[in-house]
Amino acid sequence: MAENIHVLTVDDSASMRALLRAALTSRGYNVSQAEDGVAALEWLKDNSSDVDVIVTDINMPRMDGFGLIEALRGQSRFRDCPILVLSTESSDEKKARARSAGATGWIVKPFDAEKLDTALRRVTH
Amino acid sequence: MFHDPAAALGAPKRITVMQGQVYVGTGQNEILTTVLGSCIACCLYDPLARVGGMNHFLLAEPSPGSGTVADQNYGVYLMELLINQMMTRGGVKSRMKAHVYGGANMHVGMTRIGDANTRFARNFLAAENIPILRMDTGGETARRVDFDPVKGRTRCKIVEPVAAPAPKPIPVPQTSGGEVELF
Repeated sequence: MAENIHVLTVDDSASMRALLRAALTSRGYNVSQAEDGVAALEWLKDNSSDVDVIVTDINMPRMDGFGLIEALRGQSRFRDCPILVLSTESSDEKKARARSAGATGWIVKPFDAEKLDTALRRVTH
Repeated sequence: MFHDPAAALGAPKRITVMQGQVYVGTGQNEILTTVLGSCIACCLYDPLARVGGMNHFLLAEPSPGSGTVADQNYGVYLMELLINQMMTRGGVKSRMKAHVYGGANMHVGMTRIGDANTRFARNFLAAENIPILRMDTGGETARRVDFDPVKGRTRCKIVEPVAAPAPKPIPVPQTSGGEVELF
């Protein structure tokens, strides 16, 4: 179980947030959630010291996942924080863009909870 | 050279959206069509961008804790796929409107999958703040839906049950989702 790992998930879909919360809390993760990049940055202003890893969608209103990753990598606190993209997209072009923005990895939806768990453990240890 | 008689007459190209699929209009003269029993087809439309798309799903979502991947058999995945593909074509989520069809309970006495699918679609769209303009669901009859993704117009007709393909889960390849690539 991953009792000490705090994950921030960023996804505009309420249903996807519910699925992620269920999958991660059942494996012992401490989960916080935001609905887009702007909401994530707002939340992180007050809670930045808590988060071990961020999992973000790409296509979101207001600020997409690319914008969020770039904004986070510009802050010293998040320069080395693992950031995984979780998206329905899987094109090499989008992956390259995420990589250049500073993403740690890419996971394709629909997500497999076991694979997500393994990836989170790998990037946080 | 390939000759398309329908195109030559200016008729729209008909695109069948099968179970497990999502299709977003390309802006050309197209009609998206599908036949539904207990499955649901959700048509989304952004009237400003004039972008529309349709999905066709078999089941709502996996039971919590079942360990089942929400793959292309499930509405929870296909709804997100539809919204995302609409967004990549210029659609804006806050402007999207929905039409929902299907969800019939075709076999009396069996699990009411149609009702569960309808409930899921209504709840999903409410959670995403996407208004439903038209909903034709339930009953015990199959439906044919035609959707014009440029104009946002739909037509739903009752059809003989034999026209609706028997719903069955699509075998999902192991590599169809959840792949992890660390940079």
